[in-house]
Amino acid sequence: MTLSWQHLVPWSWHVVRSTVCAGIGRKRGLTVRLTVRLTVRLTGGLVLAASCARTPASDKAAAYSPATLAVMPWDSVVARGRGGTVIWRMWRGDPAINAYVDGWVAPRLKERFDITLQAVDGQGAEIVNALVTEREAGRGTGSASLLWINGETFAQLRRESLLGGPWAGRLPNAQYIDSSSAIVSRDFEQDPTGYESPWGTVQFALIYDTGRTPDPPRSFSELASWIRAHPGRFTHDQGFSGVTLLKMLMYAQGGGVAAYQGGFDDAKYIAGRDSVFAWLRALTPFFWRKGATYPPDVAAMHRLFANREIDFSMSPNENEVLTKIRQGVLPPSARALLLRDGTIANAHFLGIPFNAPNSAGAMVVADFLLSPEAQLEKRKPDVWADGTVLSLDRLPSEWRTKFAALEADAHALPSDSLRRYARPEVDPMYHERLQADWRSTIRRATR
Amino acid sequence: MSARRATANGAGFVAVALVAAPVLLGGIYSLLAALGVAGAGAATISASRIVRVLSDAETWRSLTWTLLTAATATSLATAAAVVVSVRLQESRAGRVLAMLPLAVPHVAAALAALLLLGQSGLLSRLAFAAGWVSEPAAFPVLVYDRTGISLIFAFAWKEFPFLALTGLVVLQTAGQSLHEVAQTLGADARAIFRRVTWPLLWRGMTPAVLAVFAYLIGQYEMAVLLAPSDPLPFPLLTYERISDPALNRRGEAHVLGLIALLLTIALVLLHERVRETLGGWMGGGAHDRAADDRGERYDA
Repeated sequence: MTLSWQHLVPWSWHVVRSTVCAGIGRKRGLTVRLTVRLTVRLTGGLVLAASCARTPASDKAAAYSPATLAVMPWDSVVARGRGGTVIWRMWRGDPAINAYVDGWVAPRLKERFDITLQAVDGQGAEIVNALVTEREAGRGTGSASLLWINGETFAQLRRESLLGGPWAGRLPNAQYIDSSSAIVSRDFEQDPTGYESPWGTVQFALIYDTGRTPDPPRSFSELASWIRAHPGRFTHDQGFSGVTLLKMLMYAQGGGVAAYQGGFDDAKYIAGRDSVFAWLRALTPFFWRKGATYPPDVAAMHRLFANREIDFSMSPNENEVLTKIRQGVLPPSARALLLRDGTIANAHFLGIPFNAPNSAGAMVVADFLLSPEAQLEKRKPDVWADGTVLSLDRLPSEWRTKFAALEADAHALPSDSLRRYARPEVDPMYHERLQADWRSTIRRATR
Repeated sequence: MSARRATANGAGFVAVALVAAPVLLGGIYSLLAALGVAGAGAATISASRIVRVLSDAETWRSLTWTLLTAATATSLATAAAVVVSVRLQESRAGRVLAMLPLAVPHVAAALAALLLLGQSGLLSRLAFAAGWVSEPAAFPVLVYDRTGISLIFAFAWKEFPFLALTGLVVLQTAGQSLHEVAQTLGADARAIFRRVTWPLLWRGMTPAVLAVFAYLIGQYEMAVLLAPSDPLPFPLLTYERISDPALNRRGEAHVLGLIALLLTIALVLLHERVRETLGGWMGGGAHDRAADDRGERYDA
């Protein structure tokens, strides 16, 4: 018996819906196979009751897919988006980001386009799982219209055909995008092909305390000596940032990022992984808790760093140190640190799901977020300090001056050194494999 | 009479079905996902996910660790609850104090444990200030540790009021009269505890104790803040699998979920078994029969 969701999907949801909703019950004996199908439909989100009551009010908007909207005049897209609600699934873990989205972006969208923006929690794996479940449940329209994604999430959503598009090139503000930048125009080496629109850029940085460590290590080899000289004072987290650090180490030991570009290569990966794990095996005895345990995420890293249990924290965003000092999470003497071997920079993007109830509204929101005004606000150190995806050369001069003024922050890293040490991401499979192998060998090593 | 009874039974069945439906549907969906026909990364039907989970040493290490910490915490909480419900029968203030942890959310309790027991926490700083340890890092490791000490204490502290509440209610509703009967028959305080209070508490609290144990096996928020990364607690392992970057591994989370479900079912069955052995404590007149039994023994 071969059974897969592809077999299940064509079977009309409306049959179940009319049968159950009308209370007709079982007229015919259901075969086992039908029961399986029914169960998938019923359990996939447990949305049966909801769908009886709710015939999507936004069916009209849903009729227009992002691809259809992309060939319409922009005015008609805005007209269709007007008055609607856009539910945006995004990471809600940082009060600074939430304040920008809820306190600055949402009121402007309401005022200018009469669009109600509702940011809800959900990121990465959760987004993929939720969309798969919605598709299995056979609903015509899903819950969210806009997604904050990048890297492996984008790869998985594309592989599973869960994104609508192409649409991103259609946005009027796309003309300002820094398309010559390798960081902005590629997402973990993938060409977005109009299925996601760039929103911001970040660059990985270590975080240290100028008071405690006046002369910090500036390369991986200096870091190795530092760790040996200061047992128990260094570690990394188990999540995205920790694996990013290991990936930078892999670049540094394997001849730079160029060696890993051009798609995933198993032999190159194995060699790179082995060199990283050899480095770790030599040094983890000098790690915090001798490497027997690792902090779950960056938040725990910041906590340990602020409490002086460890001397380095880290962040995928070089400016997080600024917002976290302001929030009182990190001490005022904390600074970002780039390693000369290169630190990974990447862009994050906005996507529209295949079943978005309001694609037109989502495109208007994405375009507003790409505007020089919204990008500048987001870039301010006292707002979020997220890097812009716009090219200053392409901007009207008034905006260029405003962006240039921001670069003069004393606590921030100078933009020329950021650019000099920036390294792009490689195929998401490198990240995926390195994370899985680290978990099953280094983290699990029983002592 | 019988028609009315049938209607009542029907209503009861509908109520139970409503409660059980999400679990049943969820269980069936998990089974489909475990077999690889539903959920993210679904392809064709195969037992490979189940085989992989069952043959992975990490599953069993994680499960053993979780069962041990949950059992230790439940025992501690039960012991504390018995002491409170026996000793604080008369003290209203004491009872209120003992109920305080009920009002604290699990996450807050875990954060408090982190701030108190961490190597940079309050206790470590006090020990350093008092000169007991040479530096804060020399303070014993109680957080993110393999023994799970901070997690066990935080679990026990958070769960004991619930058990104490059950114990207090049991003793208040059934204990007083039996206590008096035993006293009249000449039993001393120790004999009363051994022959009256303890059996009552044990019978009355068993369902609550099993519920706490089952709950702690699946507790996520406290584990994520206090547990080590190796062995990974069962709920954390499950979450790691459902959010695995490799889509085809996400089905393994459903296999783990089904293992947890089987464990809970086993606990329910165990509870039914215990109830049967103990006799109809839940039914009417059970205390009287129990009292008669005790009375006979005291006579002899």
